[in-house]
Amino acid sequence: MRALICGVTGQDGAYLSRLLIDRGYEVHGTSRDAAHASLARLEALGVRDGVRLHSMAPGDFRSVLQVLALVRPDEVYDLGGQSSVGLSFEQPIETMESIAGATLNLMEALRALDLACRTYNACSSECFGDTGDAPADERTAFRPRSPYGVAKAAAYWHVANYRASYGMFACSGILFNHESPLRPERFVTQKIVGAACRIAGGSREPLVLGNLDVSRDWGWAPEYVEAMWRMLRQPRPCDYVIATGETHPLRAFVERAFAAVGLDWREHVRSDPALARPSDIAVSRADPSRAAAELGWRASMRMPQVVDAMVAAHRGASPARRG
Amino acid sequence: MPEEAAGARKVALVTGVTGQDGAYLAELLLQKGYEVHGLRRRSSLFKTDRIDHLYRDPHSPGCRFFLHYGDLTDATSLLRIVQQTQPDEIYNLAAQSHVAVSFEEPEYTANADGLGTLRILEAIRILGLAGRTRFYQASTSELYGLVKETPQRETTPFHPRSPYGVAKLYAYWITVNYREAYGMYACNGILFNHESPVRGETFVTRKITRALARIRLGLQERLYLGNLDARRDWGHAKDFVEAQWLMLQQPAPDDYVVATGQQHSVREFVALAAAELGMPLEWQGSGAGERGVDAASGKCVVEVDPRYFRPAEVNTLLGDAAKAHAALGWSPRIGFDALVREMVREDLAQAERDLQAHNSGYRYYSYHE
Repeated sequence: MRALICGVTGQDGAYLSRLLIDRGYEVHGTSRDAAHASLARLEALGVRDGVRLHSMAPGDFRSVLQVLALVRPDEVYDLGGQSSVGLSFEQPIETMESIAGATLNLMEALRALDLACRTYNACSSECFGDTGDAPADERTAFRPRSPYGVAKAAAYWHVANYRASYGMFACSGILFNHESPLRPERFVTQKIVGAACRIAGGSREPLVLGNLDVSRDWGWAPEYVEAMWRMLRQPRPCDYVIATGETHPLRAFVERAFAAVGLDWREHVRSDPALARPSDIAVSRADPSRAAAELGWRASMRMPQVVDAMVAAHRGASPARRG
Repeated sequence: MPEEAAGARKVALVTGVTGQDGAYLAELLLQKGYEVHGLRRRSSLFKTDRIDHLYRDPHSPGCRFFLHYGDLTDATSLLRIVQQTQPDEIYNLAAQSHVAVSFEEPEYTANADGLGTLRILEAIRILGLAGRTRFYQASTSELYGLVKETPQRETTPFHPRSPYGVAKLYAYWITVNYREAYGMYACNGILFNHESPVRGETFVTRKITRALARIRLGLQERLYLGNLDARRDWGHAKDFVEAQWLMLQQPAPDDYVVATGQQHSVREFVALAAAELGMPLEWQGSGAGERGVDAASGKCVVEVDPRYFRPAEVNTLLGDAAKAHAALGWSPRIGFDALVREMVREDLAQAERDLQAHNSGYRYYSYHE
């Protein structure tokens, strides 16, 4: 089996590479400029030499067509694109082009080449927006609250339409937050873990965060890539919510991270409203029961275990291979 | 007569001013005393037929209607025009608006309809006009696609079925997002199908009235259509642009469904238009083999061509405009019968002009899709 992972240098791309190589796949991966891509994550997982890299600009149709024609994959995992909600307010157009524009190019290229290929699209819980107390499942209407969420919603519907219109085997995984030691510090989880570990090591830096009351469903990225792979093993293509099913406030994440290094978070953390996004999601709650029933997939690590594993990795106790 | 006193003149920018809605809206705004700036794309043809009656020489004193070259796919042009005109209201009516074409040109459709909307919102924000300029986004019943409930209202979840629907979905949510994130006065009008004698010739309603008028006068043999069972909520564009204007005159921005609440099939539209032309039809066969036969002459005038079936069909759309009625005081004035009658009358007049040109030895254009 031959797989193509678009956005292979990111967190999910690296874990998925590891999983597919372990399962005997020939793995090809794309990055905008393969010659200058950061391969640190692939290296951390020991798959840097196992992945064949190609340069591909997802917004450039010709470039997408060329790579697909060359690789002729059995499975495509579309994980590329601008991945920061915060940055999407600064760069809304690039966000749209790299997410929904890329999806459109990929689906059109697959159609043009008539490849009997199964496709996974990385959708996001950001599409649901604020769920309140009602957990979101695959039937819940989207109500995105950021340029990132709006772009992901458009990409989701492109995939659904190409499946309905042209009978393509294409799935969207609506993944809730999933973290790992490979997360960059631009993401709040790694920012918290990094600061807690440095403060425990003697740093006098304060940790300044936005709204501590926002609640999220945080899972463990290495488990989530398993769900992606299982979606493409089903008899029929379908969309799945992937999450732990447990929602916690950011405050609890912070508390756990500082407790893990023996500190009281209240002495080191302050909240600055200036860091809040122009529009944010208060509560993100998921019902992943379809994935459990049809994919036999369940998250084994919940927020506390995710925090502990990230802290342990940051302190050098355990590399990112865990999971 | 302008309703507004001089000095308090409002400025509106209308994208897509050369289109059906743009023409009706520009006329309405000029009547209300606005200074109206219209955006049009560069083309080697004029394409200003629909606004010809509104045009004044910009050198003439008191001219309140101006055209600018610009393109929704060109952010620099949008920024420049918004900066120059400093509009109180922007109506974003420009789009690649044809559902079937969007399957052929999905990327262009996403760029013009989806990103184009974002480019205007960004222009407003970058120029510091977020607190002043009001924004109307032309959203569409195609968002409902595979409908989740009937009739469709503002709370009905979306399920777009075409690249056009997905691009418009992006535009809808990015408009909501800029309202929520930056406090902009931005509204979506979720307009169900709206037609008129100046509807584009490739849209099914106009295609029907134009073809039947020409068949009636012997200028054309036959009309080929796709899904005759598709059911739509058809209103008149003249009524609908008034709802667009009303949305920007409220104390707070919101999204509204605009529809007639009446539904008819494509087949019913064809039958009424043919009857109006004194050419009642009989229907024979079914599915792709269905034919509409001129009852008097026995000639087949309507045939199904599977080429016009879409990769994914939207079978039924029916809107509930109760919110627009309650909050905006809006309701449609022109019903289905009057709409079809007006379209048939106008297309018959055009066909007669072509016939006279032909009989006098002049060339006339057939135009082909």
